[in-house]
Amino acid sequence: MNTINKNNSTHSQHNAVSEGHNAVNKERNTAIEVSNLQFSYTKESAPIIDIKAWQVSQGEHVFLSGPSGSGKSTLLNLLCGTLTPTQGDISLLAQPFSALSNRQRDKFRARNIGVVFQQFNLIPYLSVAQNINAAVYFASTNVSKTAADAKLRHLLDKLKLPSHVLHAKADALSIGQQQRVAIARALINDPQLLIVDEPTSALDTDARDSFMSLLKDVAGESTMIFVSHDKAMERYFAPHCSKSELSPSTNHIKTRGDEAPKAQERA
Amino acid sequence: MLSTIAIESLKRRKTTAILTLLSITISISLLLCVDIIRTQVKTSFTRTVSGVDLIVGAPSGQLNLLLSSVFNIGTPTKGIEYKSIAALQSNKQVSWLIPLSLGDTHRGFRVVGTTNSFFDHFKYGDMQSLEMAAGSAFTQPLSTVVGADIAKSLGYKVGDKIIISHGLGSVSFNNHDDHPFTISGIVKKTGTPVDKAVYVTLQGLEEAHTGPKHSPTSMLGRKPADKANEHEHEHEHEHEHDEHTKEHAAYNSEAFTPESVSVVMLGLKHRVTALQLQYQINQSKKEPLMAILPGMALAELWQIMGNVESLLLGLSGLIVICALIGLATMLLATMRERYQEIAVLRTIGAGPFTLLLLIQIEAMLLTIVSAALSLGLVAGLMSMLKPWLSSTYGLFLSSPLFGQSSVIIILLILGCTYLVSLFPAVAAYRRGLHAGLNANS
Repeated sequence: MNTINKNNSTHSQHNAVSEGHNAVNKERNTAIEVSNLQFSYTKESAPIIDIKAWQVSQGEHVFLSGPSGSGKSTLLNLLCGTLTPTQGDISLLAQPFSALSNRQRDKFRARNIGVVFQQFNLIPYLSVAQNINAAVYFASTNVSKTAADAKLRHLLDKLKLPSHVLHAKADALSIGQQQRVAIARALINDPQLLIVDEPTSALDTDARDSFMSLLKDVAGESTMIFVSHDKAMERYFAPHCSKSELSPSTNHIKTRGDEAPKAQERA
Repeated sequence: MLSTIAIESLKRRKTTAILTLLSITISISLLLCVDIIRTQVKTSFTRTVSGVDLIVGAPSGQLNLLLSSVFNIGTPTKGIEYKSIAALQSNKQVSWLIPLSLGDTHRGFRVVGTTNSFFDHFKYGDMQSLEMAAGSAFTQPLSTVVGADIAKSLGYKVGDKIIISHGLGSVSFNNHDDHPFTISGIVKKTGTPVDKAVYVTLQGLEEAHTGPKHSPTSMLGRKPADKANEHEHEHEHEHEHDEHTKEHAAYNSEAFTPESVSVVMLGLKHRVTALQLQYQINQSKKEPLMAILPGMALAELWQIMGNVESLLLGLSGLIVICALIGLATMLLATMRERYQEIAVLRTIGAGPFTLLLLIQIEAMLLTIVSAALSLGLVAGLMSMLKPWLSSTYGLFLSSPLFGQSSVIIILLILGCTYLVSLFPAVAAYRRGLHAGLNANS
């Protein structure tokens, strides 16, 4: 379920209920629930984010678009807990996320949120294995080293990365490989929420197709928020997936349900 | 994991990290060197002489007298006439007397003219008597006993003949070639200036300078009347000296009467009378003399040295602080290029405090490695400089080289590192608080 209640009631007809990626189950739990969310960097400035209500169900894959400056990254930072709302509440996986302490939010993020972003995804001087294991370390889950290694190898296999890259430094990999390693790192702790921010902007068309196909494959049952300023990316999402848009003028969010043109469907 | 990240991060910035490491290593080494020399000088000074109650010489200042008689440094004072020595010898408070005649050298090492009483009564460290590593004390007028370092460095053994030179230079054109001395014994290593001295008989020394002279009337250094008393007084060393006594029984080095000697060391029957006797000697009208208490002279010398070492220690401390500020500057300067990794670390769950910790671990790692390198460097340097320090400055390095003060210094440096690294660490913390998903955000 994806429900957007715009601040501006005149646009309420755009509020949409869309289906999740894998199942049409309207009774599914809510993964993200945002209410009266406002954020501004300074007290004097106008809010960059102003969302009355927005809900994303568990397992849903949401394509969130908006031009540069519309507040997409800010919204993702709020969802990740690296920024704190000026006003309003964010609940993630039925937890009052914005009410948690900084420390609790960091721990929650490490355990439940996987993040892949535009570029500079990896720590360049660490090896691939060290980059991915760092995510395991910060999540502080009681997963044995053997289990973590097995999971890592399984992910690499799934992402079609040869095992020798494990010992390569991150900056020795191609951009495409780096993005795949970033997906592996994002998924290593089996997050329930996957946030993907402009991951394909540095990739050419072929690499983009391959990346998107892999991403959707490995994301599985995780709730995914895929962010891009490029509306053309919508084509990688099935018509029944949610399409939300952040408006740069109003900083509101609006959702289109299944009105995506069939010609652009790729999923 | 944090230490792995810190190590890899430093490896990435290896040029700046190595330069910073070098600057900290050099500064810590400097501080440790100053501290070691300070503590070793103190230890060396205090163990150089013990059991000698008074040192008597011509009036020249107590430091000069102490340095020339005990440390074999500096120019010896004008001599003491025999009659004054005889007067001291007959003093009821005096238990034993060691005459020392200074001013000659052998291949750069100081030559000390004395009698066998030196080997019987001189003590160093914690009242340790001199022991022979080989041979015995003087057995004939042209006998010599050499210190352990001389025997080692010049490869001498008992029975070898050596020539002494007039004057104190390491190269002399006035050698006493016609009076070769035969090595009768080698003193076991003491870690004091004794190891670097050549001991010859007063008789041999005087003959080398003026030609043969016979005067068997004196009993220099011995007090026959008090012989029994003395043996009772030093009962604890009786067995130690039995061997010496037997071996040099054939030659009585104390029987020779010198015209004068440079310095006399006195052992008293009762130590409490030292001040009284010092006063008497200093007031003597027959010949102007000066008596010093070795302990007090050492304390005065240490006080002078102490000011210099405090200054050096302070300067070295400042240099370490500068190096640590350099470390903080290096970390702070790299912060801008680290925004990306800070953002990545934040998104995978690292809290701002973890980022603070990470920077501090990097700083600590650099300092710990520097401290370890410094310890190795200083140990190597000191072992290399050991012979030079002992021959040039009379500084004898003893083990262990690193003591409590070295540990305190390193702990203090680690504490300072923690403090100065707070600057870049707090910068990382603040950045962490606001770091978003993207390094460019």
